[in-house]
Amino acid sequence: MLLKISDLQVRVAGKDILRGVGLEVKPGEVHAIMGPNGSGKSTLAQVLAGREDYEVTGGSVTFDGRDLLALAAEERARAGLFLGFQYPVEIPGVNNVYLLKAALNAKRRAAGQPEVDAYEFLALIKQKMKLMQMSESFLSRGVNEGFSGGEKKRNEVLQMLVLEPKLAILDETDSGLDIDALKVVSMGVNSLRDPNRSVVLVTHYQRLLDYIVPDHVHVLLGGRILKSGDRSLALELERRGYDWVLGAEAA
Amino acid sequence: MTSASHPNATPPLSAALRGFEAQWLSRAADPLAGLREKAMTRILKLGLPTPRDETWRYTNLRHLASHGFVDAPRSAHSEGETTASLSLLSADARAATVLMVNGHPRLPTDMDAWFNGIEIRSLRDLSRLDPALIAAHLEPLSDADQARWGLINTALFIDGLYLRITAKVTTPLVILHLLTSDGTDNIAFPRVIIDAAPGSRATIVEHYVEQGANPPLCNSATHIAAGRESQIEHYRVFATSAGAEHIDSLNIRQDRNSHCKQFTIALGGGLVRSTLEADLQQPGASLDSYSLLVGHESRHVDCVNVVTHNAQHTASKQTARAIASGTSRVVFNSKVVVSVGAAHAESQQSCRGLLLSSSAEIDTRPQLEIHADEVKCAHGATIGRLDPDMLFYMLSRGLDRDTAQSLLVYAFLADVLTDMSVPSARSAIEDALIAQLPDSQLLHKFR
Repeated sequence: MLLKISDLQVRVAGKDILRGVGLEVKPGEVHAIMGPNGSGKSTLAQVLAGREDYEVTGGSVTFDGRDLLALAAEERARAGLFLGFQYPVEIPGVNNVYLLKAALNAKRRAAGQPEVDAYEFLALIKQKMKLMQMSESFLSRGVNEGFSGGEKKRNEVLQMLVLEPKLAILDETDSGLDIDALKVVSMGVNSLRDPNRSVVLVTHYQRLLDYIVPDHVHVLLGGRILKSGDRSLALELERRGYDWVLGAEAA
Repeated sequence: MTSASHPNATPPLSAALRGFEAQWLSRAADPLAGLREKAMTRILKLGLPTPRDETWRYTNLRHLASHGFVDAPRSAHSEGETTASLSLLSADARAATVLMVNGHPRLPTDMDAWFNGIEIRSLRDLSRLDPALIAAHLEPLSDADQARWGLINTALFIDGLYLRITAKVTTPLVILHLLTSDGTDNIAFPRVIIDAAPGSRATIVEHYVEQGANPPLCNSATHIAAGRESQIEHYRVFATSAGAEHIDSLNIRQDRNSHCKQFTIALGGGLVRSTLEADLQQPGASLDSYSLLVGHESRHVDCVNVVTHNAQHTASKQTARAIASGTSRVVFNSKVVVSVGAAHAESQQSCRGLLLSSSAEIDTRPQLEIHADEVKCAHGATIGRLDPDMLFYMLSRGLDRDTAQSLLVYAFLADVLTDMSVPSARSAIEDALIAQLPDSQLLHKFR
């Protein structure tokens, strides 16, 4: 098991947001977590990445055999966990390439591997940028500085491709994308799929799942996973809405 | 401001003032004696500024009052090597460096052939030949509290540099101010006059460096007269060492359509108090002033800018970035005055402060005083801590917390650095700044 979440309870600003989430992700699997606004999807993504102002009040998470909640955010990243942000932050003055090279080398150091030099790194990033159809002007810009919504999401996927995480959690990476950008982003994610890597997609809409086909679909509502199934669950949700799940729960 | 003192009462003289008076009495008479006497009389009457004076609220120099100061020596050990190793732009083969030791210039003998487009003279020599020229470039005697130490410099400077810029000069000129002492209670009075002829252009970097233990108190003054259509880029870099104290007064006077870019960089020395007084005298004059103020450990940086728009269609823009860590304190006070008749003046004041520790302090106060109609004046000040969302983003990519913080601090300063037109100055100042930030080794790697 790559990721095992058991009865996870999280409080944010004094409010219980996650009320006992359980989820198991095996290597190579793609899971989709769906739910309406305010259901706790983003909280789950952020807490797994190590956001400090979210208080874990109960439960446990193991990642690749380690107690994830005992690790600092940067240690989680180096252990192979990646969060694609719903709202990637702009950091003017910090160059995109510096950040990404620093990130890759931090991970390589942690794994006992030699650091990549500037030349190797440039070759690597140019290759990945081509895949993500990004312009070279990106290389000289500040992190997400002045990027459109779609460019920010491409940049998240680009970072993921360079860092090659064991587990990528993509928080609404599809939101705000037009259909062409959605295809590029999906292709980027699919290019990373292999038997040792897993992906958790957090999304509102079924649309993304036409391009990145999940093995499992879960419905998060009111801070709990109320229903799980295969891909057909997403299609059914699209047809019947989330009230259907609530109704089924009440019944 | 309320004041308990009576306008005609003369305060009792402190040991420092008595010492300054003794220094003045012992100076040989020179052609500027009349002016110096006026300056001395005025400071003796006004007294040294105290925290009761408006621009000195955050900087208390009371400890200096009990010292009787003596002149710092006129020369230092191994000056030649020092110039080569300390010059801020040593990496720039084109740049030239003039050394000043405690305010005494070291000028090459073949000066005229040496530097094209800038005539360089010793103030002492020039005061014998043309005292009126120098007098015209000493700032007008003023009772303003921010000008007190400038009065002392006027009364007591022994020598200095006069630069007459006569052409469009592209090569930067560095004035390396070396401050060294041969005992305790030394004081130096460096004085520089930059006189830019109409249509001329130059970049002048003044770099102050202390040498040895027990460096002198530095009371420096620079006057820039920017002629019509001239363009001057001026840097003053205070690399003040721990325990050292520096009080600097910069006056800028701008003629029609002149443009000045001024960078004040305080690398958090023991104590730096810098004043900029700018007078936009004629239509079309514009000033861009930048202040990079870095306080760390227990240091104290106090920067005061007073910009006066005295003509129509003048423009000023002040950008300050302050960083305070440890138990340091950084002060940035700026004031823009738009005089009667200075219609269509435009001014901007922006100060951003970054607090890196809970025991550090940043004080900032942008002020506006407008006596004209149809002006555009904006000001803003924010002080905060590192953005937690930016920090989390970087941590989530695996960066060390220290590295992430350093990168964010560096990024905070970057928008001032990018406006420096001289690449070698920018890169040297960047190096010096980075060296003062936490985890400087890590940062060097990412440049």
